[in-house]
Amino acid sequence: MSRLVEIIQSEDDALRHQSLQSVIGACTSGELLEHCAALENFRRNEQNLYARVRALFFLSAIYRYHLPATLEAEQVTSKGLIPFDGYEHLLARRFGEAIDSFLMDQTNDGPSDALASALSQAYHQLAFQTLADQVRRSVRTVRGNQWMFRIGHPADHPLRLRRELLAADPTSGAMPLLCETTAVRMDLSHSAWSDIFFLGMDYPSGARVLNISVDLGVRGRDSQPRPPIETYLRVIDQPVFRLASVDLKASADVTTIGEMFDFARDYLGLLKAAVIAAGVVPPGLEGCGRPMHELLQRLVGPGMGLELVSKINDIPKGSRLAVSTNLLGSLISILMRATGQIQSLTGGLEETERRLVAARAILGEWIGGSGGGWQDSGGVWPGIKLICGAESGEGDPEFGVSRGRLMPVHEVFDEQRASSETRQKLQDALVLVHGGMAQNVGPILEMVTERYLLRSESEWQARGQATEILDEVVAAIESGDIKRIGAATTRNFEGPLQAIIPWATNRFTDRMIDACRQHYGDRFWGFVMLGGMSGGGMGFLFDPAVKPEASEWLGKMLVTVKTEMETALPFAMDPVVYDFSINDRGTWSELRHGNEAMMPDRYYQLMLPELLRTPLRDLPVHRRGELQAIGRRCAEDQLDATASTLLLQSVLPKEDSSGDNDESLQELLDRIGFDVEQHEQIRSDLKNGRIGLSQNRLMSSTTIRDVSSDHVVDLRRGGTAEASKLGEEAIRGGEVAVMTLAAGVGSRWTEGAGVCKALHPFHRFAGRHRSFLEVHLAKNRKSAKAHDGVIPHVFTTSYLTDGPIREHLKRHEHFGFRGPVHVSTGKSVGLRMIPMIRDLFFLWQETAQQVLDQQQQKVRESVRSALMNWARSAGEGNDYTDNLPGQCLHPVGHWYEVPNLLRSGVLKQMLDDQPTLRYLMLHNIDTLGANVDPAILGSHIERGSTLSFEVITRRLEDRGGGLALVDGHPRLVEGLAMPDERIEFDLTYYNSMTTWIDLDGLLAAFELKRDDLGDTAKVDAAIRRLAKRLPTYVTLKDVKKRWGHAQEDIFPVAQFEKLWGDMSALPEVDSNFFVVPIQRGQQLKAQAQLDAWNRDGSSDYIDSLCDWNA
Amino acid sequence: MQVRKAVITAAAPNQSRIPTQQLVNREGKDKSALQLIVEEILSSGVEEICVVIRPDDQEVFEQAAGNLIGSLHFATQASPNGYADALLQAQSFVGDAPFLHLVGDHLYLSTAEQSCAKQLIDVAAEFSCSVSAVEATRENKLPYFGIVSGTRVPRHEGVFEVQRVSEKPTPTLAEQELVTPGLRAGHYLGFFGMHVLTADIFESLEQVNADASVPHATLSDALDAFRTRHQYMAFQVAGSRYNLGVPYGLLMAQLAIALSGRDREQILSEMVELLAQRAPIIHDQSEQKA
Repeated sequence: MSRLVEIIQSEDDALRHQSLQSVIGACTSGELLEHCAALENFRRNEQNLYARVRALFFLSAIYRYHLPATLEAEQVTSKGLIPFDGYEHLLARRFGEAIDSFLMDQTNDGPSDALASALSQAYHQLAFQTLADQVRRSVRTVRGNQWMFRIGHPADHPLRLRRELLAADPTSGAMPLLCETTAVRMDLSHSAWSDIFFLGMDYPSGARVLNISVDLGVRGRDSQPRPPIETYLRVIDQPVFRLASVDLKASADVTTIGEMFDFARDYLGLLKAAVIAAGVVPPGLEGCGRPMHELLQRLVGPGMGLELVSKINDIPKGSRLAVSTNLLGSLISILMRATGQIQSLTGGLEETERRLVAARAILGEWIGGSGGGWQDSGGVWPGIKLICGAESGEGDPEFGVSRGRLMPVHEVFDEQRASSETRQKLQDALVLVHGGMAQNVGPILEMVTERYLLRSESEWQARGQATEILDEVVAAIESGDIKRIGAATTRNFEGPLQAIIPWATNRFTDRMIDACRQHYGDRFWGFVMLGGMSGGGMGFLFDPAVKPEASEWLGKMLVTVKTEMETALPFAMDPVVYDFSINDRGTWSELRHGNEAMMPDRYYQLMLPELLRTPLRDLPVHRRGELQAIGRRCAEDQLDATASTLLLQSVLPKEDSSGDNDESLQELLDRIGFDVEQHEQIRSDLKNGRIGLSQNRLMSSTTIRDVSSDHVVDLRRGGTAEASKLGEEAIRGGEVAVMTLAAGVGSRWTEGAGVCKALHPFHRFAGRHRSFLEVHLAKNRKSAKAHDGVIPHVFTTSYLTDGPIREHLKRHEHFGFRGPVHVSTGKSVGLRMIPMIRDLFFLWQETAQQVLDQQQQKVRESVRSALMNWARSAGEGNDYTDNLPGQCLHPVGHWYEVPNLLRSGVLKQMLDDQPTLRYLMLHNIDTLGANVDPAILGSHIERGSTLSFEVITRRLEDRGGGLALVDGHPRLVEGLAMPDERIEFDLTYYNSMTTWIDLDGLLAAFELKRDDLGDTAKVDAAIRRLAKRLPTYVTLKDVKKRWGHAQEDIFPVAQFEKLWGDMSALPEVDSNFFVVPIQRGQQLKAQAQLDAWNRDGSSDYIDSLCDWNA
Repeated sequence: MQVRKAVITAAAPNQSRIPTQQLVNREGKDKSALQLIVEEILSSGVEEICVVIRPDDQEVFEQAAGNLIGSLHFATQASPNGYADALLQAQSFVGDAPFLHLVGDHLYLSTAEQSCAKQLIDVAAEFSCSVSAVEATRENKLPYFGIVSGTRVPRHEGVFEVQRVSEKPTPTLAEQELVTPGLRAGHYLGFFGMHVLTADIFESLEQVNADASVPHATLSDALDAFRTRHQYMAFQVAGSRYNLGVPYGLLMAQLAIALSGRDREQILSEMVELLAQRAPIIHDQSEQKA
């Protein structure tokens, strides 16, 4: 038996917790493949799901981190193409078939880097799918949840509304109103994310969280903290299910059961998930096709309906206080009270009832396609509690499947364990803030799961330390020593948490902690990371003597630092400081009658305009009564001044603020030289179907084949000694410069947040976070020093990145870089457009798309139909202007950045300053490995061609074109232009974008000479001439629109671009293609890649190319 | 244990007219619903029957009883204070003896040789304790019935030792606390509307009736208290019950009786004729709107 299988199956902790590395650290590629074969065989036959998952993670890690490095060391070079059918299986989530396909190719052609990347991805996804399936199964088999999946028709509905809610007030006629208030939760330590479901179920003894229910108020806005979550339920005299979210300003009358399952149709998805999880519309009814009134008739009575309202007191998204899970809990609780599933209609809940609510909240999160940890519904419980994983025993549905149960155990601290004095002291010392960043914590949770299963030594030790720190925090609470809590949580954050996940912190958080230390010294007691990562909700502990002052100071400091960094990091809002207090009663409900049975004032601001538009006689009786009640309250001065003003404002016309927006967009367009004529031409082409996603493609009659070894120069083992010498001399002679393309806003990097990617401090090098820009300068410094030359560095920018980059370079004084640094300002800009429906169809249906997990896929389909409606109603092909001006514009593709260098006069200046310049290395901002390597430069000089493109062998994630023989000529083909997606999989090489340019050759391609660069008209004409010969691609990009309190919507918008790689198609431009090592050519496109990039040795490689000493 | 007395409750506000409804029995004779119930009881060896009714209903019930009036006593429930209170009105009639209890709005059809009531009395006699008749009930019917959970008594088909009783539980509670092993998923032991009770039940009835936190206490509430102090069983009767109080309840009961009796062939052929006629299409107004 393979040693790895033994580890997986062992009941002995010492063996079971052994790391993968310890077994395969010194294996040859052959031995690694033997291990893989044994694991593959094991995972196919093993019944126990957890054993299977661990085997899958072992396989994924071997193929991702170990096999490629071993193949590299053994100098095994194979072509390694990824079979397209395997890729298609992978996208469609047929993981088993995908693995079979990749393994068959591996058996036939031998192992390769490309196949290893595909196998790793397939095993990784299968592992998470298996886990998700298990959690889903566990959620469904929790007793008390099962029946909801069996109900298939509203006539079978077994719930009835409690009679108390049906008794109208005899005098006013108002229906009683059930109100529930719920706290949110804050965790002082989660023992290194041990609240991930899978961890709790696999390692219950290590799953412990110290969790506190808190009331909140925004400092300076609210007079005192109160439970942030309020939910309301009442019977209405219309047979509809009315849902309303006061904060998101959304309401809907749900009239069919199907609509309740359409989560993305509006902003009411969470309320819908709660209605379903509470069993009011049981999940088994999905697809039954019945009207809602049939169900309501059973549940409430003929002609009657329900109204469910939520309010979270404007707590912004990303607070890391589990607002959404606790809101879900509150909604579920109120609905279960109303249907008698919870005995207590009013007051607090019993422990069994809280557990029931928590189990349903887990179900609700799964139904809504979101996910949270098992501690998140902590706000439903009172006060301070320790939440622990529990071993599964006989009678549990998990017994025999997993070591732990899905549902943890809550130990609420009584007065003895946490005295009132301690509670008060904690409130007096802790400042809760929202730093303003709203990031997706999902990838972090996946990384934690993977780390846990691989049991890498340092990370496993860190998990042990985190567990000890939790004990320390508990002891500190029991002894009332708040300072010790601060010390422990800081140690937790800076030690084990970052050892396991370096991305738990970022430059913003580090700077804030440093600032606190510097300003308050010993009186700063420590930092608490809340939830999955820092940057959003965070806690800072101060000496109570300085806390009031420190809160003020912190509020200002957060805004200052945020303002400095907002172009580099994705902030969703301005930071805020909260006032908080510990909530010692848990979720609480009361039933209001008569004149007391009024919804919150903000509800009426939302509903009033619509109500007033309807003639009074058409309103249902209850609505009329309600309006009269509001009128009475206004007349009798029962409403406070702000509430009545807001009410009045809601019905009176407001000044149109969108005008300002349009104006500033127009100003911006004028200022940056927007070409209206070209824009109208493109719009008309787009509308008429002359350009579009399908028109991007080359004619299907074009023959596209893979290149042979004759068409490329293989530099993977370095260049010749002569070439190196040539290169070194060129550097010494001042013949080469570096051009870094930094015009992009990193659409994929920040999922459309529109920050300057070049400035993103993405990784810690030499002790602190460094940006892409700083890394590129550090590499340049090292090359220049090594060969005693001067390498000018130019960053090309766009309207979006120009200001921030210039300011950043100035503030940091070029990071001590001694050579010339230039910024070439982009002069070309496009205005985004509403996409054409046919392009959306093409993107979602014609191109191969990643299918999501069953429930998430349902949600995505619902989002897509909503987006189609948006495009239709906003007008296909119209200008996209409903966003910040910066988000409405787009850079027009990297091809323009080279002409811009000519147009902006920067090239002229560089040549004037350093007339010896002959070569330019152009590279993307995210190609971190690209440096001025003398051997490659020399190879370019030796061949004397105009352009030398660097290509790499392809990994699974390298999509988007490659090097091909097009009708017999080698050239780079963009992914957009591939007539058939399958073709890309037959191409060995992927374009890294790094290009060595012979400056005089390039000028010749523009029909220019060095002397012409001063003649703007001539340069402009030359650029237009060449631009016409290059294809224009239409693309759809995701752009975020922010609104409300850190809420974000993502829209696909149409834009056009011209791409640099198409230069290789020009017959008069002499091009070469260099094959370089993957580490040199790989690009960091998405933040999700960072972790693997860091772990496979790439970050160390980059570090070795850099010189950080100014 | 000898069961000589029986109690029928018919005092619920919406229930008092049901026992007077006319049906045709298995032999083709006209009978009131009350007569059918009383015949079922008398066939099991019971001699005296007490009917708990609302004030002013006695005349109607006397007429409905027809020639069986001799076996009947009447007790009245002064105001509608719930099921437990109604049963308590029969306490002086019952005295210390065990008794059979039926609800006044159900009819029973046995699938065995013995009537449903007789089957139940035999089990009570065998175990010398209170027994409730139950049948497996799907969860969509939970809002209508009292539900028990229990463990099977070895070597006694269909007999359970009761562990919990809950009146009209939610499916959530039922799934967590009322599952009886051996039933299909989503099925529970629901009351059949027929019980043999010892006189000890009155203590529990008084207890729950006096509890202010339980408004309109039910027999289920009393039985849940009762089971903690006395042996209490449930028995799956071989037969069916028909609730006359639901829409078409009377029609379904009549069809079931007729199809199990003398006129089966006649009824079947008339039904076929009915089915063969073209049914008029009647729209539900609410559906039209939808």
